[in-house]
Amino acid sequence: MTDVHTPSEVSAETFGEDAVPGLAGNGGNRKAEVPQASWGWFRWAWRQLTSMRTALVLLFLLALGAIPGSLLPQEGTDPASVQNYFTAHPALAPWLNHLGLFNVYAAPWFAAIYLLLFASLIGCVVPRTLRLAGTARTPPPRAPRNLSRLPHSASYSVALPAGEAADAAAAYLSGKRFRLRRPADGDQASWISAEKGYLREAGNLLFHLSLLGVLCCIAVGGLFGYKADKLMVEGQTFSDTVTSLDEWHPGRLVSGSDLAPFSITLNKFSASYYTSGQSRGEPSTFDASIDYSSSPGGPAKPYNLRINQPLNVDSTKVYLIGHGYAPEFTVTDAKGKVVYQEATPFIPQDTSTLLSDGVVKVAGATPQLGFMGVFVPSPIDVSGELQSYFPAAQDPVVSLIGYAGNLGINSGIPQSVYQLDTTAMTQLTAKPFALAVGQSYTLPDGQGKITFDGYKNWVSLQVTYDPGQVPALICGILALAGLLLSFLVRRRRLFVRSVPAGDGSLVTIGGLARTDASGGFEDEFAEVVTELRAIHGDKAVPVTAAEPPAHEVPTGRAESQAPGENQTETGA
Amino acid sequence: MPPRLIMKKRRAAVSLAAVAAVLLAGGLTAAFSGSSTPSGETYVDGNQAAVLYASGHRALLPDFSGKTLTGSTLSPASYRGRVVVLNFWGSWCPPCRSEGPTLAALATKYSHDGVSFLGVDVEDTPVNGEAFEQEFGITYPSLNDPGQAVAQVVSRAVPISATPTTLVIDSTGHVAGAIFGTATYSVLNEMISKVAA
Repeated sequence: MTDVHTPSEVSAETFGEDAVPGLAGNGGNRKAEVPQASWGWFRWAWRQLTSMRTALVLLFLLALGAIPGSLLPQEGTDPASVQNYFTAHPALAPWLNHLGLFNVYAAPWFAAIYLLLFASLIGCVVPRTLRLAGTARTPPPRAPRNLSRLPHSASYSVALPAGEAADAAAAYLSGKRFRLRRPADGDQASWISAEKGYLREAGNLLFHLSLLGVLCCIAVGGLFGYKADKLMVEGQTFSDTVTSLDEWHPGRLVSGSDLAPFSITLNKFSASYYTSGQSRGEPSTFDASIDYSSSPGGPAKPYNLRINQPLNVDSTKVYLIGHGYAPEFTVTDAKGKVVYQEATPFIPQDTSTLLSDGVVKVAGATPQLGFMGVFVPSPIDVSGELQSYFPAAQDPVVSLIGYAGNLGINSGIPQSVYQLDTTAMTQLTAKPFALAVGQSYTLPDGQGKITFDGYKNWVSLQVTYDPGQVPALICGILALAGLLLSFLVRRRRLFVRSVPAGDGSLVTIGGLARTDASGGFEDEFAEVVTELRAIHGDKAVPVTAAEPPAHEVPTGRAESQAPGENQTETGA
Repeated sequence: MPPRLIMKKRRAAVSLAAVAAVLLAGGLTAAFSGSSTPSGETYVDGNQAAVLYASGHRALLPDFSGKTLTGSTLSPASYRGRVVVLNFWGSWCPPCRSEGPTLAALATKYSHDGVSFLGVDVEDTPVNGEAFEQEFGITYPSLNDPGQAVAQVVSRAVPISATPTTLVIDSTGHVAGAIFGTATYSVLNEMISKVAA
C-alpha cells in the first residue's frame, strides 16, 4: 500500500530529468517547506491534502466512520430500531443523534471525509497522469560515462568492433521491449540507454482512477438507486409501485415512475428447522415459491426465492430477508355480520421460537373492535403461561385480548397497523383467551365473535435497485489489476557502452532499478549480462562483474550516489 | 419490521453519496430540482397535492379491468363519455376512512350530472372492503386490488404516490385532476365541477 499513492511532489517516480537519474531534486522533505504568503499556505494545504498520507488517513477514517453504521440502528434502514434505542437509552441517544450516528452516511462529517478523499485522489491523479504522459514522450537519458558506478554493472571484452557490439546489444534490448536511445550518427562512443516498466506508473494511475470510479459508482447508486421493503402473505400479489411498498428509500433523483413495473405472487413459503442437536430450532432452509412477471399482464415465470438467491428482474433485485406467520381471523359484529376477514401479519418477537405479536383492527364493526394477540407456533404451558418451544407451526394457538370502542382510525391520522391505540377503548375480558385453529370466541355482551381460521406464512422482501453496482465491481477489479501492475512491474534502466580496446572492444553494462519493491532486478540484470555475452560471442572475457559497493549505496538511495559527469558527455 | 404507514412516499435522508455528488455537480442537481409549477398544471386552493391539468396536458388513463368487491368484472373503458372520479382507498387506511363521507356525499350530489365514481380497494380483502362501503354509505362499485396491479398500471399516466389518491378523468378518458392524499369536500367538489363543466 505504501508504494501506491505517491505524493504529487515527489519526482523520484517521474524519471523525467535528462541528467543522471535521480541526481536532480528528489522533492526533499515537503514538511520542511515553510509557507510564505497566503498563496503559499494554499499550496502547502493542497500538497498536504493530496499526499498519500492524507489519503490513507481519510480512507481509514471512512472505514472507521462506517463502523457506527453497522453497530447502531440506522434511520435509513431500520427507523423502528432507532426509536427503540431512544427508549432504551434516553440519556445517550440524543447525543449520538447529535453526532449523526443514527444516519451515518448522511452525516456532514461523513460527507466531509468523503469529499476530502475525492479531492485528494483527484489532486493526486491529475498531475501524475500529465506527468506520465510527459514521461512517455521523453526518451531515456543518455548513458552515464562511468557505468561501473551504477548499482549494478558488469563488463567484458569482446572480439567485435565497438559499433557492432552496440548494434547487437541494441537489437537484443529492443527484442526485450526496452525503449532505446542511441547517440546521433557519427558518435564515436557507442552507447545505448534502455528503459522499461512504464506500466508501473500506468498501473498505479489505473488503481487511483478505479478508486475514484468506485466512489462515483456509489454516488450514482445513491442518486439513481432505491431500496424498499415489502411484507407479503402467501397467496398475495405485490406490484412494484410506491403505494405498495411498506418502506421506500429512493435516491435523490428517483421518482415513483422509475420503479420497474414487475409483480410477484407468493405461492408458498416453507422453512425447515433443525430438530435436534445444538442448533435445534435454527432454520436450515427457507424457500419462497413465487411467480413473477416483469410487466403488467406479462407472462408469469416461476422462481424459488431463497436466502442469497435473489430474484433479478430488470436489474432490480428482490431479496428474501425475513418471514413470519399471519393468523387468519374472521370477526362478526353484534348483528352477526362478517366485518373482518384477513390473514393478519404478526411480527416475531423471538426468532428462535417465532412467538409473534400482532393486532387486529376491526374498523367495520360498531362499536369498533380491536385485538392484541400473540401467535404461538408450538405452544407449551410453562407454569400457566403460553410459550413456544419451536419455530415451526406444529399446533399453533393465538392468545388474544379484546377491546371495544374507537380505534382512532377514522380520524385520518396515519397509524401503524402493528399497534393498537386503546386510549378510547375498553378491555372486553380481564384475561386473554386462547384459540386453536378453527376455534371461536364469543365476545361478552353480545359484541360479536372472533374465529381463528388458520394461518399463512408471510415473507419480507427487500427490493433494491443500484445502477452503480456492476460498474463498481468492474472498477474494483480494475483497481486490483492496477495495484498488481504497480507492485509487480518495476521501472528500470539498462545502459550499454562499448569502446574499442585492442582487437575488439570493451563492453560495459550498467543497471538501475528505480522502483524495485518486489525485488528481483539483480536476477534480471544478471540474466541480461549472460545473454548479451552469449550474443557477443564466446570470446568475451570478463573483466569485472561488479556488485554495487554496499557501503557507498544506502538502501533505496542508490540513484543519488550515481555520478554526474555525463553532463559533459563526449562526442555528442 | 417497519410499520406500514399510510403515506408511504417517503424521501429518504440524503445518502452519503448524494451529498458528495450533489456538491460536486450542483448545477446538475439544480436542473433537476426546479420547484416551479410544471406547465399546464394549476393547484386547487393553492394545494400542491391537488393538481388540475389543462387540456392538452392530460395523460390518457391506461385501460385496466378487474373484479369488483362483489365479483363482477369492470373496466374504466365502459365509462367513456362520462367524467369519472377514480379513488384509490383501503379499509385499513385512516385517511381513506376520514374521506369516506366526502366521497359518498359527492357521489350522490353528481349522480345525475354524468359523473361516475369508481373505487379501487387496495391491499384489502372483499369482506373488509364491503364493511367499509356499508359503514360510509358508498354505493358505487370498487375494484378489489390487493396486489395494487391497478395502481401500477395507472402510475404510467399519473404517479400514484399515496393511498388515498383520487383522480378525476375527463369524458375522453384523460386524467384532468389528481388529489394525492386525503380529498376534502371543497377541493374535490371544485375539481369535479371544473372538469365536468
